Amino acid sequence: MSALAAAAPAAAPIDWARVAARSRTRRRATTLLLYGFLVLGSLPILVPYLWLFTVAFSGRMGASTLVLWRTLAVLLPALVIWSVIRLGLPPGRPTRLAELALLAVTLTLLLALTGPHLHLDNWRFLWNPNIADALKGASGVGLKFPSVWTAFGNSLLLASVQMTVVIVVSTLAGYYLSRFDFPGRASYLRGLLVLHAFPAMTLIIPIFLLMHWVGLLDTLTSVILVIAALELPFAIFVMKGFFDAVPWEIEMSAMTDGASRRQAFLHIVLPQVRVGMLAIGIFAFLRGWEEYVFVRTLLLEKANWTMSLYLFWMQEDVMGTDYAMVSAMGVFYVLPSVVLYTATQRYLTQMTIGGVKG
Amino acid sequence: MTPGPLARRRLDRLLFLGPATLLLALFFLAPVLVNIAIAFTDMGRNLQVSGLTTENFARMLAGDRRLLGVMGTTLVYVLCTLAIFNVGYGLVLALVTTALPERSGAFFRAVWLLPRMSPSVVYALLWTWVVAPTDYGLLNQALAGAGLPAVDLKSDAPMLVIVLANGFIGASFGMIIFTSAIRSIPEHLFHAARVDGAGGLAIIWHVTLPQIRWQLSFVSLYQALSLLVSFEYIWLITDGGPFYDTTVFALYVYKRAFENGQYAYGAALALGLVIVGIATALLLWRFFDMKALLQRPRIEVS
Repeated sequence: MSALAAAAPAAAPIDWARVAARSRTRRRATTLLLYGFLVLGSLPILVPYLWLFTVAFSGRMGASTLVLWRTLAVLLPALVIWSVIRLGLPPGRPTRLAELALLAVTLTLLLALTGPHLHLDNWRFLWNPNIADALKGASGVGLKFPSVWTAFGNSLLLASVQMTVVIVVSTLAGYYLSRFDFPGRASYLRGLLVLHAFPAMTLIIPIFLLMHWVGLLDTLTSVILVIAALELPFAIFVMKGFFDAVPWEIEMSAMTDGASRRQAFLHIVLPQVRVGMLAIGIFAFLRGWEEYVFVRTLLLEKANWTMSLYLFWMQEDVMGTDYAMVSAMGVFYVLPSVVLYTATQRYLTQMTIGGVKG
Repeated sequence: MTPGPLARRRLDRLLFLGPATLLLALFFLAPVLVNIAIAFTDMGRNLQVSGLTTENFARMLAGDRRLLGVMGTTLVYVLCTLAIFNVGYGLVLALVTTALPERSGAFFRAVWLLPRMSPSVVYALLWTWVVAPTDYGLLNQALAGAGLPAVDLKSDAPMLVIVLANGFIGASFGMIIFTSAIRSIPEHLFHAARVDGAGGLAIIWHVTLPQIRWQLSFVSLYQALSLLVSFEYIWLITDGGPFYDTTVFALYVYKRAFENGQYAYGAALALGLVIVGIATALLLWRFFDMKALLQRPRIEVS
């Protein structure tokens, strides 16, 4: 790009080789500057997460940062050397070898410097069902905390049932809105769009009251229904978009062959929109897994706690000082989200509504 | 006996559209109506209604001395976070990562998505620990390493903490939208600008920004709304404190209802948010591709 800019007209004969070399240098400098900016700008995010991770595997009562600093002391220079290799050497076999050597050195250093401090002691909440009592023994406050697996099970149940509801309901509605004309279709779609942009969080007081009146307060069902409903406008639009992209000829030919409308939907069209169903499913699952405000408001009993409430009360009530175990719980809670997001990013980015990703 | 075409059509509509309509009516429409109704009652901690009153609105307009301060806090919080992070830094991230090779750009975008991927409780926990005033706080450890005195951001600069914490999450939304917008700008525009002698910044100013102005306004509006109504991270990190220093309007509504038990007054306050929400939602409408959305279905066989 800069090569073109540098080729501005000049009176004297131009030394093209020098111009090209200069613009190459300038371009490299710009790239380096941008990388530097991004690395520095991302440190406030990366370092705390790295801290959480290292403390979970190395801390002993208290937030030790020794392992974090050592890890950073190895990783940051490695990163700098790596970018120098990438930018400085031409791509090819020697570069690849240099990269591999760098990787080997980095890993060895990491292991040597942090290895002796690593242990799994902070993860004992996984196999000790009465971890809260064990920790509180000293302070002597009797407060029955559920096992982490109860909370894990609740979160899993909440997320997967809610996901199923969202998938089924929005697939049905998306198909109908995509294929059928009915009086009021345009206003239905318009209404959905307004609901999609409408902030449901403002309705938390009346939702709480409604749940109280119908007797669903303090049940997982209430949270499942609420979160599923709030996800719906978005999910329906995504599904409608996927159905719109399926050519109607395949349905047509199925029906000419004697299939009914519903058979054609089930056996012919549905397999075509699997990616869409997967995408909204993952999205709904993650939403349910992460939910905090609604579960905090609608669930009260400890037996109903989800992972978010469990982690919150654990660090608030029981072990404010055992940072190391809270870190391990944090890693335990955050890992499924991050893994699922990263593994399915491909599908998630396919969701668009009206040209605007939601 | 098989049902006639009309009956079957009705049945189809009930089967396909019924569940969605029911859920949406129950959790969007009904709550709005309940909210309006409750705002005119005296519902308190016992959740009983003993009479109708307009006292809540009188209190909102004149009696609540705290309210003005809360609204000021909200304004500062929303404007700062929006301008610096959700739009500003989101745009910078999109511009920088699209200027780099695809793989590195994607890596840094993934890093910035990390706060959005993590459950709010974990993210808030990290912030609490980073700015902890004790020697254990990560920030204070780093400062001590540099020979600087320890700070207590949560007491001394609580607004900074909540703007940063929310901004780090908010930046990724703009980043994603701006990235795909920048990618879809026709390549020849950049080449033409280069030939005309434009430098990097001039290209951003004269080519990129005008091309993505639609997305810029969309993100501004959408994120202003979501900053205005969300209080999750503030609630978790500072709990609106110290005193009322970081209590934004949405958090104030929540606390009035669920902590002080003033459900009716909370509903009256929430009505303000609901109205702003509906107005913004109507505005946002214009950003969706309505024509493509409302085109008549291509097949109608019963």
